[in-house]
Amino acid sequence: MVVGDISRAIRRVDAVSKCKGTVKYVSDYSFGDCLWGRLVRSSIPRGRILAIHLPPMPDGYRFVTYKDLPEGGHNYLHMIATDWKCFAENEVRYVGETIGIMVGPDKDTVENLRQQIKIDYEEQTPAVTIDEGLACKGGAFVNDDNIHCRLSLKVGDVDEAFRKAAKVVTETIETGFQEHIYLETNGACCIPEDDHYVIYASSQCPFYISKSISPLLNLTPDKVVVRHTTTGGAFGGKEHFPDVVCGPLLVAAYVMKKGVKMIFDREEDIENSVKRHPSKVTFKTALDKDGNILGMDSVVCYNVGGYLSSSFVVLQRGCFHVTGCYSFPSIRSVGLGVATNTFPSCAFRGFGAPQTIFAVETHLCHIAEMLGIDPLEYKSRYFIKQGDTTSTNGKIVERVMIPEMLEQVKKASDYDRKSKAYKWGSGRGIGISFYNHGGAFTGNGEQAIIKARCQLHKFANGDVEILCSQTEMGQGFHTILPKIAAYVLGIPIEKVIFRNPDTSRVPDSGPTAASRSTMIVGELVERAANLMKPRYDKEEDFTVETHYEHPEGYPWDQNTFQGYAYLGYGWGVCAVEVEVDPCTAEITTKGIWSSHDCGHPIDEKIVHGQVNGGVLQGLGWGSTEVMQNTDGHFKQTSMSDYIIPTSMDFPKQGVYLVDNPYPWGPFGAKGMGELVFNGSAAAYIDAVSRAIGKRINRIPLPTEEVMNYMLHGTDLRSEIEEVR
Amino acid sequence: MEEVKCYLPKTLKEALEIKAKVDVLPLAGGSDLMVSHKRTLGLTPVFEKPVMIIRNLPELKRIYLNEKGECCIGAGCTSAEIAENTLCPWHLRQAASRMGAIGLRNSATIAGNLANASPKGDTPGPLYLLDARVRLSSVRGDREVLVSDFIVKYRTIDLLPDELITQIIVPLSEDDFDYIFWHKVGTRKANAISKITLSQAIRFAPDGKTVEDFRLSATSTGSKTNRSRDVEKLLIGREITDETIESVVEGFDRIISPRAMPEFRREATRRMIRRFLSEAAKKPSSKVIDTYDGYHMTGAPVPRGEENG
Repeated sequence: MVVGDISRAIRRVDAVSKCKGTVKYVSDYSFGDCLWGRLVRSSIPRGRILAIHLPPMPDGYRFVTYKDLPEGGHNYLHMIATDWKCFAENEVRYVGETIGIMVGPDKDTVENLRQQIKIDYEEQTPAVTIDEGLACKGGAFVNDDNIHCRLSLKVGDVDEAFRKAAKVVTETIETGFQEHIYLETNGACCIPEDDHYVIYASSQCPFYISKSISPLLNLTPDKVVVRHTTTGGAFGGKEHFPDVVCGPLLVAAYVMKKGVKMIFDREEDIENSVKRHPSKVTFKTALDKDGNILGMDSVVCYNVGGYLSSSFVVLQRGCFHVTGCYSFPSIRSVGLGVATNTFPSCAFRGFGAPQTIFAVETHLCHIAEMLGIDPLEYKSRYFIKQGDTTSTNGKIVERVMIPEMLEQVKKASDYDRKSKAYKWGSGRGIGISFYNHGGAFTGNGEQAIIKARCQLHKFANGDVEILCSQTEMGQGFHTILPKIAAYVLGIPIEKVIFRNPDTSRVPDSGPTAASRSTMIVGELVERAANLMKPRYDKEEDFTVETHYEHPEGYPWDQNTFQGYAYLGYGWGVCAVEVEVDPCTAEITTKGIWSSHDCGHPIDEKIVHGQVNGGVLQGLGWGSTEVMQNTDGHFKQTSMSDYIIPTSMDFPKQGVYLVDNPYPWGPFGAKGMGELVFNGSAAAYIDAVSRAIGKRINRIPLPTEEVMNYMLHGTDLRSEIEEVR
Repeated sequence: MEEVKCYLPKTLKEALEIKAKVDVLPLAGGSDLMVSHKRTLGLTPVFEKPVMIIRNLPELKRIYLNEKGECCIGAGCTSAEIAENTLCPWHLRQAASRMGAIGLRNSATIAGNLANASPKGDTPGPLYLLDARVRLSSVRGDREVLVSDFIVKYRTIDLLPDELITQIIVPLSEDDFDYIFWHKVGTRKANAISKITLSQAIRFAPDGKTVEDFRLSATSTGSKTNRSRDVEKLLIGREITDETIESVVEGFDRIISPRAMPEFRREATRRMIRRFLSEAAKKPSSKVIDTYDGYHMTGAPVPRGEENG
């Protein structure tokens, strides 16, 4: 099939094999005498390990711990920071922390032995919530204040704004944990081969694994080859977390001199994997006598958990997005990554941005409603435009099409009429949100940190292979990249080969994360294909390579967080209409309409799929996805009590796009995988709060919480007082 | 691999004989037992005693009306079979049709739902409401007990070691009432566990005002399904007024004991009782009363967005 219009949908290259069930996932691989592994984990949130009592071990069975590392091996996992240990030594900081791995040939025996391992602890008082972490409950365990990381941003003179203010409003907005619920749980195998090890893993970022776990055996990363296996969903939950799975496997394979395989079951995965950071954002906003915003001060607290790992970067992105799609005369934002005794939080679609976007959207609604103004009218006073200053004192480089997108959404949803007709507290409500997401790594990170490389190889038979480290995890990248190459070269897409990456044979084009794959690697492939095209007919067997080059003239300082944080944002507008059951407080969603700017779409069907999934996942985060943790243990541990929404909960979506080509993306495309998550929860909560006439300050919002707000909530028009 | 000893009787008689001799765990749909006994990935479940699979016993699959017009439902009938069989009473069909997901409804049986004796079970609510009985059979013979007595307390049932649940007999149906109500607040709109479910039914005397019968049962509001004839009698023989409604609301509130989310469960229960009784008093044309009528708009435009195919 020759690719025609790049935006027109083609059949996904993996559609047939996935529908037929012929695709192999990591649990489908078997390797001769491969051993089976099961992790032994901390059952307490905080304390010291006093003793480990092992049952008698039959031949061929072993409990592997940090003591089995070779001389020179480092007991840490390198995920941006290096504080997360592969195996706990004496101290445990969270329930689920890896203490060791039980390995052996027979699954039943391994499991029986694992259950007989008894660990004595000296328990200590845990700090579980953000407030407990800040209060250093049980004594600080990170630095002397339980703050893993902090940053601050300032634009304009916020102190002057507060001096001139006629009114100052303060409120706190909170969000909860979210579990990824990828279809395929975590799993991996580690096989010793000659002088190196081979990891087969369900993951997003094969090179991350090599880099992270090779120090365990004091090896260079090239001695830990990662062969990516087709991955059944990730959402950020397989960005760094596979390191936690693969690290113990590598040590066990080293000790046993045999392959070791481990697959999590669903409950194990929910209880013992990373989550989205819970957040608490406190705004202090200066208003003039007419209610106009003079300045906005915010403190952004994220629950980081026991180890820092990647959280500082998540917190940075959170703070950079705290002004949402708006430009205010002055802002100040302080970000705090709080240490707690919970499973370390990590990447999840949006990477810190959804929390602050939800917070600022909700805060603006509350101010508008206090003033008796339609939230849309109030928000539209502050829409950011091309050339405006960002939260990091950079400028918005691109054209911002929010006005056009708003028109589409208003027309489709009938917002103007419904917003007037549905009185606050009438049982019906329509809400609207605006959101963005900076594409790719922050600032010049693509050039300074990742240095992405990509190759195209032409074979004598005319086939072209794409060599890069990008992974397919359900999002459609195995279709997107070949489509770009085939389009440029003018060859059928069937002649383009794109395999699951193997770190020993592909260049490192960076992680499949940060909405960067299409935007950055897609452009590398487009450029490589353009280099190949004039030689394609003349030469038989050759390779072309491209490197990422950051556009000149957009400086960024990673030490001060000043400058152009993102050159290309995705933008979104979402409206949600609901009604509330007056007896039971159940919410029925009557309509969902969204418009997105992802530059020029590479495949409209794939974009459509991302919009449907991202919007729905955001609605789940805002409504039913309750994940409680008050004593260090996650209370929801299965698919029947961790409630992700169904198509019955959010039945249909109106999906709109605008065409806004991005000059540095392939065919004008920008990132969009995370964007589509960032705003739907805010629109939903806006709609529900208008329907019940009460101010809502925290998500998730299951039915009992709606009832709670109906009975005890604060009226939308009342003065905003800080909720504690 | 651990071994599970299984019995596979072909007839009910054979099953009862096994039950009389061996301490076996009867397994029909397996939707509770296979979950509660599962181990980690790739390992077979371990059962503490032998399992007797009674999934396909023909004697347990029938649904019919007996000579008294009572609906008799075989113990092995699945939720899906009950949901689509119009011989079954309306309340029970509603509950069966909203139990879990489609796959579960195709395998879970009504006897299993009762034997599990979970306070969140879907079928006990309607069965309590309609005075249903459960038939317990053994080689010694049969006996019948009210479902509300059969479920003794949380996770405890009145079943002797040699007995099997063979039939559920429901003497009443929606035909015995003027207005009916069933509403489940689930954890989500499909594939959901009950947060609170209320079943109600009312019949007026020939004068059209005096309440001749009124029934009310609630699920997920205590350690077992709640129903109280004493509370119902606060309305029976009287007319629906604000005072009699409130006496029922308060009386019922006293008998329920929700542990988690108590305020929500109590408030939703109170509101659903008030809603049903105040609507029934207005004598609407529709027999089924729900929590609200919906908000009707005239001239509302159809969303012009591309809808998902």
